[in-house]
Amino acid sequence: MTAVISTFEVCRYFGDDQETMVKAVDRVSIEIERGEFTAIVGPSGSGKTTLLHLLGGLDNPTSGSVELSGANIADMSGATLSDFRRDHIGFIFQAYNLIPVFSAEENIEYIMLLQGVDASERKRRVADMLQQIGLEGLGNRRPNKLSGGQQQRVAIARAMVSHPQIILADEPTANLDSKNGIALLDLMKELNQQSKMTFVFSTHDEKIMSRASRLIHMHDGEIELDELR
Amino acid sequence: MLLLKLAFRNIFRQRRRSLLTALSLGGGYILCVFSFSLSEGSYNSAISFFILDHTGHIQIHQDDYLLRPKIHKTIDDPQGLSELLDANDEIISHTLRVFAPAIAYSDTDNAPARVIGVALERERSTSTLAVKISAGVYIDDTLDAEGYYSAMIGAGIANNLNIGLDDELILISQGADGSIANDIYIVRAIVGDRTSPDRATVFLPLIAAQEFLSMYDSVHEISILLQDDGAARSVATSLQEQLPELSVAPWQVVESTFYQSMQTDKQGNVFFMGFIIFIVFIGVLNTVLMSVLERTREFGVLKAIGSRPFKIALMITCETSLLASLSLIAGLLVSVPFTAWFTSVGFELAEPMDIGGIVMSHMTGEMSLYVFATPLLLIIFFAITISIPAGIRAARISPTEAMRSH
Repeated sequence: MTAVISTFEVCRYFGDDQETMVKAVDRVSIEIERGEFTAIVGPSGSGKTTLLHLLGGLDNPTSGSVELSGANIADMSGATLSDFRRDHIGFIFQAYNLIPVFSAEENIEYIMLLQGVDASERKRRVADMLQQIGLEGLGNRRPNKLSGGQQQRVAIARAMVSHPQIILADEPTANLDSKNGIALLDLMKELNQQSKMTFVFSTHDEKIMSRASRLIHMHDGEIELDELR
Repeated sequence: MLLLKLAFRNIFRQRRRSLLTALSLGGGYILCVFSFSLSEGSYNSAISFFILDHTGHIQIHQDDYLLRPKIHKTIDDPQGLSELLDANDEIISHTLRVFAPAIAYSDTDNAPARVIGVALERERSTSTLAVKISAGVYIDDTLDAEGYYSAMIGAGIANNLNIGLDDELILISQGADGSIANDIYIVRAIVGDRTSPDRATVFLPLIAAQEFLSMYDSVHEISILLQDDGAARSVATSLQEQLPELSVAPWQVVESTFYQSMQTDKQGNVFFMGFIIFIVFIGVLNTVLMSVLERTREFGVLKAIGSRPFKIALMITCETSLLASLSLIAGLLVSVPFTAWFTSVGFELAEPMDIGGIVMSHMTGEMSLYVFATPLLLIIFFAITISIPAGIRAARISPTEAMRSH
């Protein structure tokens, strides 16, 4: 197996003063293989979100390295990093973060537009994604006309439609009730198995973490336990 | 296309704020168009007035006659010049004139007068002299039964000398050869009223004036009317090349005092427009910055999912330009009929106004591409310019910081 994500001694510290410095991520080295369905777990403030941001190139490490598909993220900046994220990483956020003035279809389509996918292909992929996430017929609704669960499904579709190698999800079920949360995780798991995309998500919900095939436990910015299941 | 759609929908997210911004943009545009229309209309009326009244689009003189008129600074082959001008397609008509100061006498009174000899038929098609006759008829250049030429006199002369139609007018002046010039003319027409610029002028047939002043065939001035108002400078340059021994001047030089005053006033208008645009754009800047600030999280997400920073900045510029365009379309819809009315009907001033030496009591506007396009392009330009710093700010948003914002 090849590692699609690997970090070496990656650190992310906030603040310059030694006394008040916050070590959000401290010397984390991990390797995640293609097709894994990995959960980063831990209590609030353990560094899960910061680590996901580092993995996705949204934040720069204080030291250490992050490689995605063999490319060192620290070597990229500006437009190159934007293009890399667009083509290789899909993001799912806790608060859905859909574009409020776009319909569900347009939210899914937007990233393909950035990729320069032609119109007919975009239309076909949007229809496919809506079917896969069970939202056929609701594509023309704007986010404020969808439930939280439906919005997060659209966010999943938006993350997956560009065929990235890695999907990073930051507490994707935190704003959902447990029934919807589990349903969403089941959907993510199903898509993971169908597409063989690598899923890395953070959570502190016990029920949710039971769906993961690998659990990386974090505490105070460090990896406490890395268990395969 | 999706970017345009996104920009369009974002405009309608904060409807009240967008409406107020659009009102200030549209209102500013209407004010600018009105100001331009008024200024251009007033000046074009004034230009048209003196071009048709006497100046023409171009004048030809000998040497520096325009600055220092002397009776002996004459154009000595006016007939040859007339043939050249008649053959020029850009020229509608031209007229020949001679000038001299004189003292006018009646049986009982005398008054200073300005004698102008005009080529009557050419003058009729070049200036509004014939239209300005308030009593009597436009004269011809034939002698009457008693051997006198006819004259048209300003209403001021008629009043000062206490004479009227068919009365005798005696003129005394100095001839070009230094002789004493004196002759009798019969008044056949009164020109204008006692306030007209021509009130102290005596108009004679050209041949009569040339005989009176011993000028033979020569003239002092040739005034030319062109097909195209805007071609005065270029045609004057072309004529000057053909007539290097004479001085050819467009109306901007002939009426330099008026022209300079007009240019100064136009600069004042530009300042006024700049002030309006400044006020409008303070409001627009506020709207754009507020819009960026409110959507920090959204821009962070757009960047996170792969939008290039340039694309984010472009979106802001697109939104501002779209809002400005929609406002300008609305402003155009209001200002076109209003300017059309203002141009065709206009309004009477409570008090006559002096515009560069021309007294005007009726104001009309101007309806031209310049009037509508200049403020439009300026507003679009400033809208784009003002959106750039806001766009850069949005483009520089860090996705991680944006996610933490609310």
